[in-house]
Amino acid sequence: MTATRLVAVLPLTLLFLLPLVAALVLVLPGLLDATAFASMIAHPQFAGALWLTVFTGLLGTGLAVLTSLAIVHAAGSRDLSRGSGLFLAVPHLSLAIGLAFLIMPTGVIARLLAPLLGWTSPPQWVTTQDPWGFTLIAALVLKETPFLVWAFAALLNRDDMRRALDGQVAVARSLGHGPMSIFLRVILPQLLPRMAGPLIAVLAYSLTVVDMAVVVGPGQPPTLAQLAWTDLNDGDAATAARGGAGVLILSGLVLLLIFLVGAALPLLAPLRHRLLASPPRQDAKLFRLLIILWPAWFCIYGAVMLVMALQSIAAQWPFPDLLPQHATAAAWLRLVQDSGPFLTTFVLALATAMSSVAAAVAWLEWAPRRADRIAALVAVFALCLPSLLVGLGQYRLFLALGITGTAPALFLAHVLPVAAYVFLVLAGPYRSFDPRWNAVAAGLTAQPLRFLLRIKWPMLKAPILAAAATGFAVSVAQFVPAQLAAAGRFSTLPMEAVTLSAGGNRPLIATHGLGLMLLPLVAFLLAGWFGQPRWRMR
Amino acid sequence: MLNRRRLLLTTAASLFLPVQTGTAQAADWPAIEAAAKGQTVYFNAWAGSDPINAYIKWAADEMKSRYGVTVEHVKITDTAEVVKRVRDEVAAGKQDGSVDLVWINGENFRTMKSEKLLFGPFSEALPNYALVDTEGKPTTRQDFSESVDGLEAPWGMAQLTFFADGAKVAEPPRSIAALTRFAAANPGRVAYPAPPDFHGTTFIKQVLIESAISPAAFSKPADRMLFSSYQPVWEAMLDALHKSLWREGRQFPKSQAEVTQMVADGELLIGLTFNPNEPANLVAAGTMPAGTIAWQHEKGTIGNTHFVAIPVNARSKEAAQVFANFLMSPEAQARKNDIKVWGDPTVLAVSRLAADQQASFANAAAPGSVSLPGPALLEPHASWVPLLEDAWLKRYGKG
Amino acid sequence: MLSLRHIGLVLNGKPLVRPFSLDVAPGEVVTLMGASGSGKSSLLAFIAGDLPPAMTGQGDVVLNRTRLNPLPPERRGLGRLFQDDYLFPHMTVGENLLFAVADLPRAERLQRMEQALTDCGLEGFAPRPPHSLSGGQRSRVALMRALLAEPAAILLDEPFSKLDRPLRASMRSFTFEHIRNRGIPALLVSHDPEDVPPGGRVLEILEDGSLKNA
Repeated sequence: MTATRLVAVLPLTLLFLLPLVAALVLVLPGLLDATAFASMIAHPQFAGALWLTVFTGLLGTGLAVLTSLAIVHAAGSRDLSRGSGLFLAVPHLSLAIGLAFLIMPTGVIARLLAPLLGWTSPPQWVTTQDPWGFTLIAALVLKETPFLVWAFAALLNRDDMRRALDGQVAVARSLGHGPMSIFLRVILPQLLPRMAGPLIAVLAYSLTVVDMAVVVGPGQPPTLAQLAWTDLNDGDAATAARGGAGVLILSGLVLLLIFLVGAALPLLAPLRHRLLASPPRQDAKLFRLLIILWPAWFCIYGAVMLVMALQSIAAQWPFPDLLPQHATAAAWLRLVQDSGPFLTTFVLALATAMSSVAAAVAWLEWAPRRADRIAALVAVFALCLPSLLVGLGQYRLFLALGITGTAPALFLAHVLPVAAYVFLVLAGPYRSFDPRWNAVAAGLTAQPLRFLLRIKWPMLKAPILAAAATGFAVSVAQFVPAQLAAAGRFSTLPMEAVTLSAGGNRPLIATHGLGLMLLPLVAFLLAGWFGQPRWRMR
Repeated sequence: MLNRRRLLLTTAASLFLPVQTGTAQAADWPAIEAAAKGQTVYFNAWAGSDPINAYIKWAADEMKSRYGVTVEHVKITDTAEVVKRVRDEVAAGKQDGSVDLVWINGENFRTMKSEKLLFGPFSEALPNYALVDTEGKPTTRQDFSESVDGLEAPWGMAQLTFFADGAKVAEPPRSIAALTRFAAANPGRVAYPAPPDFHGTTFIKQVLIESAISPAAFSKPADRMLFSSYQPVWEAMLDALHKSLWREGRQFPKSQAEVTQMVADGELLIGLTFNPNEPANLVAAGTMPAGTIAWQHEKGTIGNTHFVAIPVNARSKEAAQVFANFLMSPEAQARKNDIKVWGDPTVLAVSRLAADQQASFANAAAPGSVSLPGPALLEPHASWVPLLEDAWLKRYGKG
Repeated sequence: MLSLRHIGLVLNGKPLVRPFSLDVAPGEVVTLMGASGSGKSSLLAFIAGDLPPAMTGQGDVVLNRTRLNPLPPERRGLGRLFQDDYLFPHMTVGENLLFAVADLPRAERLQRMEQALTDCGLEGFAPRPPHSLSGGQRSRVALMRALLAEPAAILLDEPFSKLDRPLRASMRSFTFEHIRNRGIPALLVSHDPEDVPPGGRVLEILEDGSLKNA
């Protein structure tokens, strides 16, 4: 028994817990540098960056939560998980690039308007780098909403959840409540506590995102994450130390905001009671308009992809022209010829996703249940930390081990967030597996392994595959930790894309943005296909 | 405080310094070439430009076939990352470092030199160094007023150059004052990248030089006191310009490449570059129209040299030297000089080369070539950079 | 009066329940018997207005001279009870009951809720969470909640089948008594003959989908 337990907890511990703890232990003392802190706080852009970070992070998260709820509500009993999975496949960086191509002063929208308004030169729109960060907020909402929808859908698809809610909804309707009233009073209050993980992850991500902010965020001042990232990469040791202090302040800000939101929730209890105990209400007709939200998301992403596809083959595209003058496959040829980064990204994603799923399953199956909470907490904690902090810590760890620029370092750098996501995605469905099956199976076969292989795991195939696809997508999108660990010896697609984006070759940027999307998209489609029950596969 | 920190760090770093093996300049060149065979050079070089990447790929292929040396282009966005990586590796005691050769100059060079992170001296012992025009191009020995001391090998020449579509800009503004008038007449259509992007930093250095009556002081190390006597005029000049910049000078494009793209799109009217041949290169690539014009300021613009250097913990020091030597060869320099390839001006004294070699450096007058040249001005000493960047950020970095 | 006129169910193009008509008088409990899978629960769902999309219903449902077919479930005025009590786990017992009480002055609503608790012998249970109640107590709360919405008719879908045997009998009489007191028509679906109230009408769904008076 003890041996089994050890084997159960070892993989996840080695892949995830131990490296995380070691990374933090190594990085934190170095960051506690009073001089660096003082100089970060004295940075002329610090106050502005702090305000901008809080503003964009909170507003972005808040709007994403509201829109995702509206979408989940409007969908009623339709399953949103498959549609939303496709959105997850789109990396943040790709979306930001495509969105910029769409709305910038020389973007497609301006080109569409040009003949109507008689423009010959691009309008002086403040659509990117707007000082308030509204474009960044829009990009965050566009990207995080489907993630939340997907998390809601995953929750709603759980057998136990679905059974209970279906019955409760039927009862609530018979009591005279309309769908909106039921959503607010019956469904939402039961979903939200279970959504703490994804919600925290979205807030943390919105506060700490680097790549999206670089593409569509303001620069004077930038967000705190951008400010720290710029400093961190400075050749001057004191400036780099200031960047480290920035990373630590950012981490503290994330924890503080999460704590404040958590602390504010009990204050809402009277409001909650009034909501729950209010009389039956039928829906206002206006709510029916919400039904257009989800299709709108498909349209926006479709437009973003279309613009990127157009940009990727555009040889020359002077302003008022709606279409490029010539088409060229040069950028795509480059992607194919330089297949190294593509292959590295693919192999890494496959290896990290598979090992994370194996480690998570081992943990969930054999580790004591008490340990689940610890693992889940650590995973959520890891995802709350800015990737800057974790990346720096891993970099210190790899330096100490002397393995920077080796394949193991690259694997470890990628597997950490992958394992965290896979564990969180899988834990719910795995733990809600109806224990009565164990009893039923015990009567049929005595061998526990046979039960797992023939009954339990096949029954859990959809969530296991979904977790694998999520892990795959997370791995593909890694930039900061990958860049630091690779030490230039390896290149992955996002590293290539970010490097190229400094060069301003739009076709090449667009090609890489689309290429970056392709891998996870295929993973999600495959997971969706193989995850459905056998009898539904055509 | 900043300097004391740096000093402490330097002392700390020097404790970890490996004993110099001395193979570099003492050993004869054939021995180095022999040792280089089979080695791999990880060449860390900024990769934001396709023509440059393609050129490095060509050079790598040549190294493989001629010397049996494998060159891997490690594509980076900012050379400062490399400085940081080498420092961290040396501090961690890593002898087989991840960087064998780095494309570098200016402040990054000064940092690596002062922290003793560079291998050498080696460059003046390279066979092709004899061809370098050290008299005509003094910046090959003084990098941002910092003595090179053989710690980096000159690779190419640069001079701040402006460009525009001639159809839209009839009379190019050839001074900061003229540029300010131009911007006032075309509000929102002029911009420069925000420092610390190095084109942005160069631009504010150019403003500094043009704001001073006698720029001689800038070649000496700066301090806050000295800077404060130049600061008001410099700021007044920037203030006047910023009023009519893109986004009224409240936001700035993030890189030179972004500015170039915006010029190509017609969103901005004037672009800037450190490579005088880039405008012609852009015309050749179809990014800019054939009527593109390029110019330098009447009283001159900042010019400098860019180099390659070998970190102290490089694993393939021999191969790195062979590659640095090849990059300085007339053949490699001529190809680099070709506008259709890259268009980066040579560091060699072309007049001292054989006639046929000289011919290979001739660039046919291409559309987009610099038509109104100005003299090359020396970079201010590297110590001015943090002062200027800090002052700029304080005044203009808050939106 | 709840009138079912030529109602039936079709699954994958095949008739599951053949069309039949039935009138349920106020205060009357009519029992619909059938094996599992015979479509008796789906019939109730059709009447309530939330039949799963896989199935199609036919015929008219008329309640007190109003045709219910075009109305959404929440406007049909039909109370429902299921095998599970479906008390909302995130609400207190009191909130569960208030959830059903119409929009009246607050004091009036609270009074109705308290009265309902008294009626089912659970005085003072309002602030308790549902999971702290016994199975029988939960069933009574569920019934009270359904009645507090003042339905014009009630649909019972095997509401006693999950209760312990001794509890079942008392819950049956408790339920039927309350329905009779309200004077509303009730349709009960079950496969247990003991569920049939004394003297109540019984219809049986046969294997071919036709109905027989038992």
